[in-house]
Amino acid sequence: MTRHIERQIEQLKEKILRVGTLVEEAISKSITALINRDSHLAQRVMASDEEIDRMEVEVEEECLKILALYQPVAADLRFVVAALKINNDLERMGDLAKNIAKRVAQLAAGEPCELPPEIRLMAMQAEEMVKQCLDAVINADPSLARQVREEDDAVDAARQKIRKKVLQGIKEHPENVETLLRINSVSKHIERIADMATNVAEDVIYMVEGDIVRHRTGD
Amino acid sequence: MNNPADRLVAVAAGKEVPSEVHQQVLDERPVLEIDRFSLWYGTKQALHSITMPISHNKVTALVGPSGCGKSTLLRSVNRLNDLVPSVRSTGDMRLNGDSIYDPSMDVIDLRKRMGMVFQKPNPFPMSIYENVVYSLRIDGENSRGVLDEVCELSLRGAALWDEVKDRLADSAVGLSGGQQQRLCIARAIAAEPEVLLLDEPCSALDPMATGKVEDLIQELRGRYSVLIVTHNMQQASRTSDYTAFMYLGRLIEYGPTTEIFTKPILRETEAYVTGRFG
Amino acid sequence: MSFERPRRLRSAYSGLTAHGESWVWLTGGALAMAIAMITGLLLFIVVRGASTFWPMPLERVELVDGRQVLGEITGREEVGQRVEEVQGDPAAAAGPQRASAVGIRMARRLVRTANFEITGNHYEWFDEPKIARTSLPEWATAVERLEGGRFHGFPLRLVHATENSTEVVAQGPEKTWQAYEQLHPAFRRRFREAMHIDKHQRGVLQRQLRAARMAVVQADLDRGRKSPAYAAAVEAEATIAGRMQKQSAILDGQTARLREQNAGWGVEFETASGEKRTLPLDAIVRGWQPNRLSTIGKLGVYFSRWVEFLWDDPREANSAGGVFPAIWGTVAMTLIMAMFVAPFGVLAALYLREYASAGFLTTAVRIAINNLAGVPSIVYGAFGLGFFCYVLGAGIDEIFFQPSLVADNQPTFGTGGLLWASLTLALLTLPVVIVATEEALSAVPNSMREGSYACGAGKWQTIRRIVLPRALPGIMTGLILAMARGAGEVAPLMLVGVKKLAVDLPIDGTFPFVHPEREFMHLAYLIYDVGFQSPNSQAAQPMVFTITFLLVMIIALLNVTAIWARSRLKRRYVSQQF
Repeated sequence: MTRHIERQIEQLKEKILRVGTLVEEAISKSITALINRDSHLAQRVMASDEEIDRMEVEVEEECLKILALYQPVAADLRFVVAALKINNDLERMGDLAKNIAKRVAQLAAGEPCELPPEIRLMAMQAEEMVKQCLDAVINADPSLARQVREEDDAVDAARQKIRKKVLQGIKEHPENVETLLRINSVSKHIERIADMATNVAEDVIYMVEGDIVRHRTGD
Repeated sequence: MNNPADRLVAVAAGKEVPSEVHQQVLDERPVLEIDRFSLWYGTKQALHSITMPISHNKVTALVGPSGCGKSTLLRSVNRLNDLVPSVRSTGDMRLNGDSIYDPSMDVIDLRKRMGMVFQKPNPFPMSIYENVVYSLRIDGENSRGVLDEVCELSLRGAALWDEVKDRLADSAVGLSGGQQQRLCIARAIAAEPEVLLLDEPCSALDPMATGKVEDLIQELRGRYSVLIVTHNMQQASRTSDYTAFMYLGRLIEYGPTTEIFTKPILRETEAYVTGRFG
Repeated sequence: MSFERPRRLRSAYSGLTAHGESWVWLTGGALAMAIAMITGLLLFIVVRGASTFWPMPLERVELVDGRQVLGEITGREEVGQRVEEVQGDPAAAAGPQRASAVGIRMARRLVRTANFEITGNHYEWFDEPKIARTSLPEWATAVERLEGGRFHGFPLRLVHATENSTEVVAQGPEKTWQAYEQLHPAFRRRFREAMHIDKHQRGVLQRQLRAARMAVVQADLDRGRKSPAYAAAVEAEATIAGRMQKQSAILDGQTARLREQNAGWGVEFETASGEKRTLPLDAIVRGWQPNRLSTIGKLGVYFSRWVEFLWDDPREANSAGGVFPAIWGTVAMTLIMAMFVAPFGVLAALYLREYASAGFLTTAVRIAINNLAGVPSIVYGAFGLGFFCYVLGAGIDEIFFQPSLVADNQPTFGTGGLLWASLTLALLTLPVVIVATEEALSAVPNSMREGSYACGAGKWQTIRRIVLPRALPGIMTGLILAMARGAGEVAPLMLVGVKKLAVDLPIDGTFPFVHPEREFMHLAYLIYDVGFQSPNSQAAQPMVFTITFLLVMIIALLNVTAIWARSRLKRRYVSQQF
């Protein structure tokens, strides 16, 4: 017999996944808009953030309700706590996607500029990481989560490269400073998205194994 | 993925499975050592080779589904099961080093070193004062000064002094259920027991009284070694330092309460505490 | 459009039985009937018993043939035809056809005529047609005498007769009675004093003499006639005999003086039929004029007769006087019986319930005890007589009281007495106590016992401190039942120690104060004896009711005391709530 709390936890899982899907979409669309300089798409991404925010509140309330009414312990407790944190991370990912979309609008308004190829790579990697961490949540897969943590290094490296390029570009073409800064901003956002994905992965490890691996290296 | 109740299924099928005892328990100084203790009611085996140390000055909870033997184990500690004619046991228990089941052990003496509180409050048909000092009286202590002092200390220790200090001569059966149970606790601690045995002390009480008794157990922590049997998971998590999960007469897992309720070692334990099973 | 499901018609019968109305009536009716019967019986006893001592009016009955009697009309009944007497013609009594043709129903009255020595009857029936008229003379006096029963008459004068002359102290009913009331108390006092001397003080001397004589016999048995012990005993006896003689002479003098003072004084009465009789003043126990007395006066007589009933010794073969020895005997026996049955019963039940292991033997014992309750009480009497008296008693006599056996052939313990009667009844009521105690013990919740063991108490400590106090109310119930049953049993008592008339009380002021070998009187036996063995059955009948009334009161008092004690114990030891 399925107990009531199991049903509640299943519902929570579904909600989290829905938020995750929305966020994944938003990120994907914002990257596409960036590469294609599609400001309409960017507008749509910005509008969709509202729903993500709404759902985030819903998920948080759901978690609080389960804690208050069912006093979950052990695995159930870890899942709810992880859900709260993943929820938070997803919402921030959504915000970052919105920010990227904002920059896209700004860049499209400005002069056409070449995007460094690293951005595209970074973006694709970040997207992949987000997809993987969400998979880890669905499947409660700690090994996949660990993989995500490792992939973050590559994203960090790419970010550094772009930063250098931007600095150089500012020196060489000071008239493009606004555009270049915007590009810098975008890369920062993408790097942050990858960091969020890493957080989610760490939450998954806690959820499954009960180990808090934050701030620990090489695990 | 394994069925989380694999071990329990094996137990139900009659196989012997090793129990999982966390290291922290083994590191503690034990007041009571249960050593391969088995018990039979007639031909039916109720306890299977239980081995576990009970830590000194800590509250240890025994949890498990009905019929898992937790009450039987508790009653075996002070050899109350000796009163049941069909009971037979093997193995031993040691109270601060003294063998409990040694044939030369004086059972009466042994019981004086322990205190027990039962599920249904059972105050004796005498005054409150006489109830509390009962263990001393049967030991021959009749000096008024000593008895008065012990009575006050015990009632204070049981958080009952303020409520009854003006009516110590009143009959104990006139108290409310929660007060009666606290009186039984006072009676149990009056003899300065080496270990305090509580058998589902709150089952028969309303939530207010239950709360008071649980608070009392919290206060006793650190001053008395307590072994409490409870079927209420939250009570175990609220009041105990160590929790032992038993099933069908066997010890399954035994460790610090925090661990058992956040990340137990065995999936079987997790299945039980989250209510997926039992 | 609304749709209404048609309601099923319920029959009136099913409704009533469903509510249980018929059961309420049935159960209530049964209870009411039981209460009515019990109340009816009690009321009957109370009314008949309490009215015995009320002074009834004395009527002068004048018969058609001129005879006059003075008496209380105590009854009336209707009888069938007395054909021959009505017609005055013996020949007319021929043939049943004749008799039925004349079928006359008439009534007759029962009159207590008293004056037994004159009329030969205590009571007499008078056919109503033969009664000319009745009246209530003012000075009709009823007198209760020491011997001879009642006397009804009119006081004429108070006389003091000495050897030579007869002095008339008072003349006329009023003056006579005044003088009587003045003098009577003192006479009674002197009389009682003389009686006391005779009965008690002389009795003490008798006993001392007898003890000395027994010592002689004992010495003879022990040492032989030639031994110095024998000689010493004989000498002691002689000394005591001599002393006794002296004291006896003194007592004789005392009684003679008292009797002398009383002698010769009397009241002369005239009966309704004209005969004159002088009654000695100290032979009159009580006299009253019922037709003259006010209600308060009647109450006075009533209470004084009740006091006499409760405190005096019996007279007239138990049909008059008091029943004090019987009350004393009943209470003494009941208490001693309770003293024996309580510890035995409780200890036996304690062993059965607490210590005996459940098994065939225990069950067999329990069944045997339960069946003991069904044995007829006379069988207990026979057992008591056969075993206690003839075996145990004879054995005790052989060892301790041989002189009495040898010298007077009088057994001490070898015959019925207080001790054997109490033991027999204790045996009779033992099953009740054991069963009630066992029930009370098993009603003590096991949790209490476990709690005590968990505190480190041993088995006996647990029983003494926890189980017994808690079971005490139930044990008291058993005792109450036992006492009630034992106090009312007659049959066994007849065989083991109750007498019709016992001179001495079984517990009195003489050392050793309790005399377990003495026979005693008992109220229940008295009822039987007075009601069915008395020569004056009509006078005895009201006494039967009064004694029954008294017995019921005594048992009720014992029960109420025990119930009060039990309810106090209940409040102390047993909780009302969890």
